[in-house]
Amino acid sequence: MSVDIAVETPTGSAPPTEELVAPPTTTRGIRRPTSAQIFGIASLAAISILPVPFGDFGYFIGQYAIIYAILGLSVVVVTGYAGLISLMPYSFAGIGAMATGVAMASWGWPFWLAIPFAAVATVPFALVVGVTSVRLKGLYLAIATLTISNALGETFFTWEAITGGDSGHFVDRPVVGPVDFGGDLAFYLLCLGAVFVLLFMVEGLRTSRIGRAMLAVRDNELEAQALGINVAKTKLVAFVLSGMIAGLGGAFLAQLLISVTPNAFQSPFAEASSLLLVTLVAIGGMDRAIGAFVGAIALVVQQQIFNGFEFFFAFVGIYAALTLIAFLLFRPGGLVQVGKILGHLTRTRPVLGISIILIILVVNVGGAWLILSLS
Amino acid sequence: MIYAAPVTEVTIFGLSSGAVFALLALGLVLIYRTTGVLNFAHWAIGLMGVVTYVMVTALGVPPQVGAALGLALGASAGVLAYRLVFKRVGRGRQVIVILIAIGLAQFYSSLAQFALGFEQFTRLRPWLPTGDVHIGQVAIRASEIITAVTAIGIAFGFLVWFRLSRTGRALRAVAQNKEAAMLSGIDDVKYSSIAWGIGSALAALALLLVLPHSAGEQGGLITTFDVTPFGTLLIPAFGAALVGGLVHLPMALVGGFIFGLARELLILAPKPWSDLRASIAAILILILLLMRTERFFATRQELEALE
Repeated sequence: MSVDIAVETPTGSAPPTEELVAPPTTTRGIRRPTSAQIFGIASLAAISILPVPFGDFGYFIGQYAIIYAILGLSVVVVTGYAGLISLMPYSFAGIGAMATGVAMASWGWPFWLAIPFAAVATVPFALVVGVTSVRLKGLYLAIATLTISNALGETFFTWEAITGGDSGHFVDRPVVGPVDFGGDLAFYLLCLGAVFVLLFMVEGLRTSRIGRAMLAVRDNELEAQALGINVAKTKLVAFVLSGMIAGLGGAFLAQLLISVTPNAFQSPFAEASSLLLVTLVAIGGMDRAIGAFVGAIALVVQQQIFNGFEFFFAFVGIYAALTLIAFLLFRPGGLVQVGKILGHLTRTRPVLGISIILIILVVNVGGAWLILSLS
Repeated sequence: MIYAAPVTEVTIFGLSSGAVFALLALGLVLIYRTTGVLNFAHWAIGLMGVVTYVMVTALGVPPQVGAALGLALGASAGVLAYRLVFKRVGRGRQVIVILIAIGLAQFYSSLAQFALGFEQFTRLRPWLPTGDVHIGQVAIRASEIITAVTAIGIAFGFLVWFRLSRTGRALRAVAQNKEAAMLSGIDDVKYSSIAWGIGSALAALALLLVLPHSAGEQGGLITTFDVTPFGTLLIPAFGAALVGGLVHLPMALVGGFIFGLARELLILAPKPWSDLRASIAAILILILLLMRTERFFATRQELEALE
């Protein structure tokens, strides 16, 4: 079996793979950032200030998209890096959200203590799933995670001591000195800080020892074993890290929604949300951390803008599904790969490249604006 | 409410919901064996059949004709999925295939949301007789019995056809060894399309049997729970297919009844055990997965060919 979701060289105009070339170093041995890295950081900064002109509505959508990006990062670790299909990322987020609810509403903990507690609370569950993943491969694991998500919805998320019944827990946003995170801008900045830290951590994981072990296990399990990699341990670590990231995202999700109700994490809505997470990561680009961020921005922003209008909400569902299928068939590296191709095109034929990028932006942004102003 | 003989009633309930699981599972196994795709979009494709049924009965078409049209549209949704998408994915790229199936599930369920107009629930007219049948002192809905009998009949008819007919033999040949089948002149794309068509029609039939008759005289409802990518019955259907290791059709049929009966018969169990009812399917599935049931029904080579 070859589980192959790496960026494959497309036929025709193939961009040179930049990862193979070591980044240039200065004489003192400090890595100078490549132009791609500078461009990436600049676009992150540009995306971060996008909600500012839209005020509180913009900040709310921004918070939503960023929290989905955090949850998407958990998919990047387990599916993108380790090649294990997990259809339960949203259930891990739910565990984190419930842990936050219990810690803050019942025990009176501050939010700063509830965040690590939410991350740690997912560990026992992640270990169980991880042990399952050692024995089950491919689609059997997909069925197993789907089933576990369903079973958690029937047991854990109906347990009143944990969920606080149907009305759920009410969690207040923290106040630190003069800064009140109940305000939309302050909470947006807090989420932004969290996602940037996690982005760099997950991107760094890729080149770390355990991250490279995950990539090796994804590409060929037998070869990885022959190289002396402990496959079982690698899979367990992948699930535990992924669970912790999702749990942390769940803590922020609880803060965003202010009241944490259990029915969002019960069948079949938990499965649907997990699918959305997997979809947005696959659209963004599975095997890079930035892919989760790009995918979340592209998908969740549209979905939240159109949320008031059910017609467009379903329209976004169709649009996202078709984009996903088209990307998987033709460009499995997602938006990150498309971005690389466009970047390459811009360097070799600047006029053509820039005009294509502009056309894409105008069609998407203009289309959204048109639909909003018409309705 | 206390019934004179709850055992009979509960057993019939179990058989009829088991029959629905069995139909779904047969479609899943047929598609998986012939094309190596575990169809996560099975429920959503079946939903297309129900949507057609809702739309044409609203136009005044008799419900029975509507159900037939629903079957046809369900089948074409499946064939389209294969022709346009899965045909183009090479074998051996399992993660991509699973993700694409998930994308299709979202596509078809969003389409269903569109077509049903975002109501909390949509009423469905029944197309089977709705009266009660009396067995001894127990009154049982006729639609339950018809569901069980139809599903069992269709499932057995399908198994016989799969074993004996020319098309069935060609389908089995493609399932067992695709390359050898192609060498002996069997058109792989044609027979894979047939497998997708039949499998999807079975899914549409299962949904058309259960959804329009869930509330007896009044017909049935589609709720927001049903219009989701995986719906409410796909997970037990996976379980039923796992009883046959995802590859064995007769055992998938048996599996459907195991899951249906297990769920309904637990109602009769004493208090702490009857609480297991909601999660019995999940428990059974995890046991089946860890047993690796596929070992018993397929050789190593066949399994590697499916991956």
